[in-house]
Amino acid sequence: MRRVDMIKRQSRINVLVLASLAIFGATALGFGQWVRYPTSGVPRKADGTPNLTAPPPRLPDGKPDFSGIWHTAVINQCVQATGAFCGNTEIGGSPLALNIGRDLSGGLPYQPWAAELVKRRFSKDDPHVRCLPDNPPRTWVMPHLTKAVHTPRLLVLLYEVNAMYRQIFIDGRPQPDDPTPSWNGYSTAVWDRDTLVIRTTGFRDDLWIDMSGAPMTNTATMTERLRRPNLGTLEVEITVDDPKVYTRPWTVSMKQELILDTELIDEICLENEKSWQHMQTPQSAK
Amino acid sequence: MRSSLRYALLLVFTVSQTALFAQFLGYPTAGVPRTPDGKPNLAAPAPRSADGKPDLSGMWGWVNFGKPCGAECNDTQISVEFINIAATLKGPLPYQPWAAELVKKRRVQQGLDPNVHCMPRGAPRIWTDDYYKRIFHVPGRVLILTERNMQYRQIFTDGRALPKDPNPTWNGNSTAHWEGDTLVVETTGFRDDLWLDASGNPLTEEGKMTERIRRPNYGTLEIEITINDPKAYTAPWTVTLKEPLILDSELLDYYCLENERDSKHMREQAPIGIPQ
Repeated sequence: MRRVDMIKRQSRINVLVLASLAIFGATALGFGQWVRYPTSGVPRKADGTPNLTAPPPRLPDGKPDFSGIWHTAVINQCVQATGAFCGNTEIGGSPLALNIGRDLSGGLPYQPWAAELVKRRFSKDDPHVRCLPDNPPRTWVMPHLTKAVHTPRLLVLLYEVNAMYRQIFIDGRPQPDDPTPSWNGYSTAVWDRDTLVIRTTGFRDDLWIDMSGAPMTNTATMTERLRRPNLGTLEVEITVDDPKVYTRPWTVSMKQELILDTELIDEICLENEKSWQHMQTPQSAK
Repeated sequence: MRSSLRYALLLVFTVSQTALFAQFLGYPTAGVPRTPDGKPNLAAPAPRSADGKPDLSGMWGWVNFGKPCGAECNDTQISVEFINIAATLKGPLPYQPWAAELVKKRRVQQGLDPNVHCMPRGAPRIWTDDYYKRIFHVPGRVLILTERNMQYRQIFTDGRALPKDPNPTWNGNSTAHWEGDTLVVETTGFRDDLWLDASGNPLTEEGKMTERIRRPNYGTLEIEITINDPKAYTAPWTVTLKEPLILDSELLDYYCLENERDSKHMREQAPIGIPQ
C-alpha cells in the first residue's frame, strides 16, 4: 500500500512538474525527505497495511476529526484530446476541475449572460494561470494536496499552491453583514450530527470555479457538507446558490481520499513573475 | 543610504494595498482573562495546552517603529526590524567579506528584494512583517498563518528529524521541542538567496535559524532568533523580538500578486483541457 502511495506520489509530482513547465511556467519541484515521513497513529490491519475503513478519529468534543492530507479520490484520466494538459501521463486532480458541472444533467444552469461570459473566458484569463489564489470550491478538485488541521473551534485547510490557507470558523460567530469581497469568502460552520455544514459568503465578483470559467460572484452562498465516514474518506458535497449567475442552486458531490506518509510541498507559482523589470532603481543608486 | 532605504520602503508600500475591513474584525476573542474593570488582563498567565505546555495560539502583531515615517512611506507603522533585523544590536552584523559587499549592492537595488516581487518573505521575516499572523498550536505541529499572500508556515513538534538534504525553500524545514516553557525551533533548508530584511541582510542555504519562543504572559510573545550562517556571517548572532497579542480581530486576506503583469504574455488559446 505504501509503495503504491509512493508511486502515486511520484507520479503526481512528475505530472505537477510537467504541467507547471508546460502550462504555468513555474519552477520545477524537488524533493525533501518529509515527503516520505510516516503518518503517525494510523490504524493497521493484521497484515500491517493501513486500515482505511476504520472509524474516523474524533476531536476532544466527540465530533469527527477531519485532520489529514486529502486529494480527490476520482482522478482525472488523461485522454488524447486533453494531451496538452497532462502530457500523456496520468494527472491528479478531479475531472470536476475541468468542468464542475459535468455530473449534472444539462450542465450548470447558467443565466444567459453567464453562459455568454463562459464562452468568452479563455485559459489566459484564468486567475489560476496568473498565479492568483485558488478559491473554493475549486480547491477541492485541483491536482494538489490539501491538508486539513482541525480543532473544535477552527478548521484550517492548507494548500500546496502558493502555500496558502483557508480558515473555517466553528466558534459560533455570525456571517459578516457587509464583508470585503475575498477569494476564500468568509466561512462559518455548524455540526449536523457528524456532518460539518460550512456556509460561505463574501466572495469576489469575478471568481472562476473550474477551468471552463464557470463563474461565482458576490451574490453567492456556498454550502459545503463534509463527512468522514471512515478513516480514509472525506465526502464533500458542495451547493452553490448564486442567483446572479445560475437560475437555481446546484449541488455536486465528490470523495477525497486520505494520503498517508507524505507532506505538502510548497509551490510558489509566482516565482516566474515578470514585474521586477518594471521596477525602477532609485536615483541615489546611480 | 538612508534615502535609498526610504525609497525602498516606498516601493514596498506601492506594491501593497491598503487593508479593508470586514466585520469578522470586530468579533470578540473568546476566553480572554479580564481585570475587575472588564478590560483584558494581558499580564495574566499564558494559557496552557492539554500537555501542560504554554499554548502559543493567538493573533500576534509587532512593535511599531515608534514614529510615523512621513510622506515617503505613509503612516503605516512598521517595525524597526523590518528595515534592519539587527537594528537593536550594537555594531554591524559579522559579515563575511562577500556578504558585506552583497548588502551594499542590495541596499541600493531594492528592486531585487523578493518582497517587492510579491514573493514569500520567508520564515524569519514573518516575525518582523507588517502584517498580523495567527499561531495555531495543535498537538504535533505549530502553524503560523500570515495575512500576506494568505501563506502559512509549519513547525513540526512530532519528533521528526530535520531532513538531511532538503529541497531549499523560503520557509525552510522547521522542527521544535520544548525546553521548560520555551519552544525551541530549529530550521534549515533555506533557499540560498534570502533577504532577512529590507536592508538585504542575507540568509543562505547554509543558514540555521534557532527560534526560542516564550509566552511570558497572556499578552506577550517573545521570540529570540539566532542566525548561524557561516557562509554569510563569521559568527552566529541573536536578536530578540517582543510581539503583542491582537484581540477582537481577524486575519484579512491580502494578495500582493493582484498587481502582477504576467497575463499579457499569455497566449490566446482554448481553455485548458476542454475539447473544442
